[in-house]
Amino acid sequence: MRALIVEDEVALLEQLAQHLKSEGFAVDCAQDGEEGLYYGREYNYDAAVIDLGLPKIDGIELIKRLRKEDRAFPILVLTARGHWQDKVQGLEAGADDYLVKPFQMEELIARLNALIRRSAGYASPVLSQGELQLDTAKKEVRVSGAAVELTAYEYKVLEYLMLNPNRVVSKTELTDHLYDQDFDRDSNVIEVFVGRLRKKIRPVELIRTVRGQGYRFVTESTI
Amino acid sequence: MNNSIQKRLLITTTCVLALFLTITGWVLDRAFSASVVAGAEEQLRLVIYSLMGSVQEQDGHLIFSQGVAEPRLTQPDSGLYAQVADELGERLWTSPSAVTTNVAFAAIDTQPGIFIFSDVAGLTPRFHLSYTVIWEDVDTEQVVFSAATDQLPFRAAIRQFRRSLGIGLGAATALFIFAQLLALHWGLLPLRTMAEEVKELESGERESLSKSYPKELEGLAENLDRFIVHEQRSRKRYRNALDDLAHSLKTPLAVVRNTLLDQTPDKSLLAEQLDRMETTVTHQLSKATASGPVMVGKTVSMSGLVGRLLRALQTAYLDRGISLETQLDEHVVARGDERDFMEMLGNLLENAFKYSHSSVRVCVARSASNPQRCVITIEDDGEGIPEAMREQVLHRGQRLDEIESGQGIGLAVVAELVALYNGGLEIGDSELGGARLILTLPWGSAR
Repeated sequence: MRALIVEDEVALLEQLAQHLKSEGFAVDCAQDGEEGLYYGREYNYDAAVIDLGLPKIDGIELIKRLRKEDRAFPILVLTARGHWQDKVQGLEAGADDYLVKPFQMEELIARLNALIRRSAGYASPVLSQGELQLDTAKKEVRVSGAAVELTAYEYKVLEYLMLNPNRVVSKTELTDHLYDQDFDRDSNVIEVFVGRLRKKIRPVELIRTVRGQGYRFVTESTI
Repeated sequence: MNNSIQKRLLITTTCVLALFLTITGWVLDRAFSASVVAGAEEQLRLVIYSLMGSVQEQDGHLIFSQGVAEPRLTQPDSGLYAQVADELGERLWTSPSAVTTNVAFAAIDTQPGIFIFSDVAGLTPRFHLSYTVIWEDVDTEQVVFSAATDQLPFRAAIRQFRRSLGIGLGAATALFIFAQLLALHWGLLPLRTMAEEVKELESGERESLSKSYPKELEGLAENLDRFIVHEQRSRKRYRNALDDLAHSLKTPLAVVRNTLLDQTPDKSLLAEQLDRMETTVTHQLSKATASGPVMVGKTVSMSGLVGRLLRALQTAYLDRGISLETQLDEHVVARGDERDFMEMLGNLLENAFKYSHSSVRVCVARSASNPQRCVITIEDDGEGIPEAMREQVLHRGQRLDEIESGQGIGLAVVAELVALYNGGLEIGDSELGGARLILTLPWGSAR
């Protein structure tokens, strides 16, 4: 998952980035509204965390502009003042949820995951497709009830594919959303991950290869 | 633009007064002058009549038999002159007064039976009157009687009148302006008093404005008073909140600082103290920033506000799939600060969404028992609010750090805001199975 964080307090920004990375997110950081707008326009994210009190372009305005440019990724707003006026304005501008500072990192991660899940159409934290179950909270994968051991990257690939079902996901897109920018982008690595993943989740065969384009996770109903 | 009311009124009335007096003076002057000239004409006419009476005809000639009735005609240079002439301008008789004075009598008009009056300018301006008669059996066909009088005495009378008029009108003006000044001073006195009282309020010498203002200023004084009282209360609340904040932050800060000195700091103790500080900050800040009821403030549509909050909460709680049942009366309004209402309703509605299992019911209506109140009922199907917490929340003066964070702190904030607005907050059980909160607020148009 690739997330954008826009926060002007450097200490908090670093903490957030560190926590999200440790949760398996690829993270881009922006310290003001202008930078945030640039990143939001240039890259496609799975979620964004935006503080309302930002220099240059304030949070509400930033959200409005992103939404105006059809950026549909879920947005979680952070507010320090905690006034309802701010929360309502944030949500009206196009945010999907709010969190009042100070907050627990666990709470933020949970909310963010819920938003990503929600935007993919899953109601529960356990993403379920036939015999395959992926618990986003515990980061566990089960096939027909039996736990499957996956490496962190295998898990990320599966989670991303399950959150983007019935759509061709290119290798580049997978790399973008799984790794930080400075990571080695070798598409063979992805092929290896997917190959191993397919074996591990047998007999489930929902990950299809689309020749020359990438992968598609097909849901049971579309088979 | 002139900034003094007194100056403005004074300039206006003085201008109007000056115009009025000028017109009055001019009209009076014209009327008096006309009456003086008419008097002169009348005097000359009498002279002519008396001349005509003293003329007799004898053998085709005119003879002035009796002495002239008007004594001034016999005195040389008396200022009153007369002459009788024939139609060719041949003098038949001249008054003794005109013997030494050259009087240019007006040209003879041949139209008989008409008095001709004229104002003759010259070195000595005079009024002239002539009258032509046809005299039968006389060698001259027509006889012209003329009389003239110096204008000097008449002009003197007019001058005298003008002087008196000027003095009179001047005195009236002075009196009027003086009266105007007095009236302004008296009329504007309440405003000056108000300014002084406000100054005293500022310096803290007085608590509120006095009650004895004239009818026109009553409304202003009342609103000002309310505003001041509100401002004082806000300031007090602000100060208290800051005091409380400082006080209740220092204890946990001291604990944290001392804990950090330990070799192995107790993390749970640190977390507990941080929680305590967080609760304090949330609570005291919301208390301090509340505006409170301003009677001159605008009215806020309750259904509009609740609708906005519900839409926002439905976005935030989208994945909970909560079924919402609403009954919002569009006409319900409350008077006060929109942000305060948003805080109260936002906290209550969020609690309902957060603690419900699957359904929330919201009703905005005018109170059936008291039309001066609006009632907002919020119900959910959650676990409900425990008795102990209800007590804690609604008991005023509760130490905030004794209230557990979570649902309680939000409710305590609401309870305090509600009290500020003289509203009511009732916590009960809903037929849905969870909590039912009934918020009552003063109706918007109530003053």
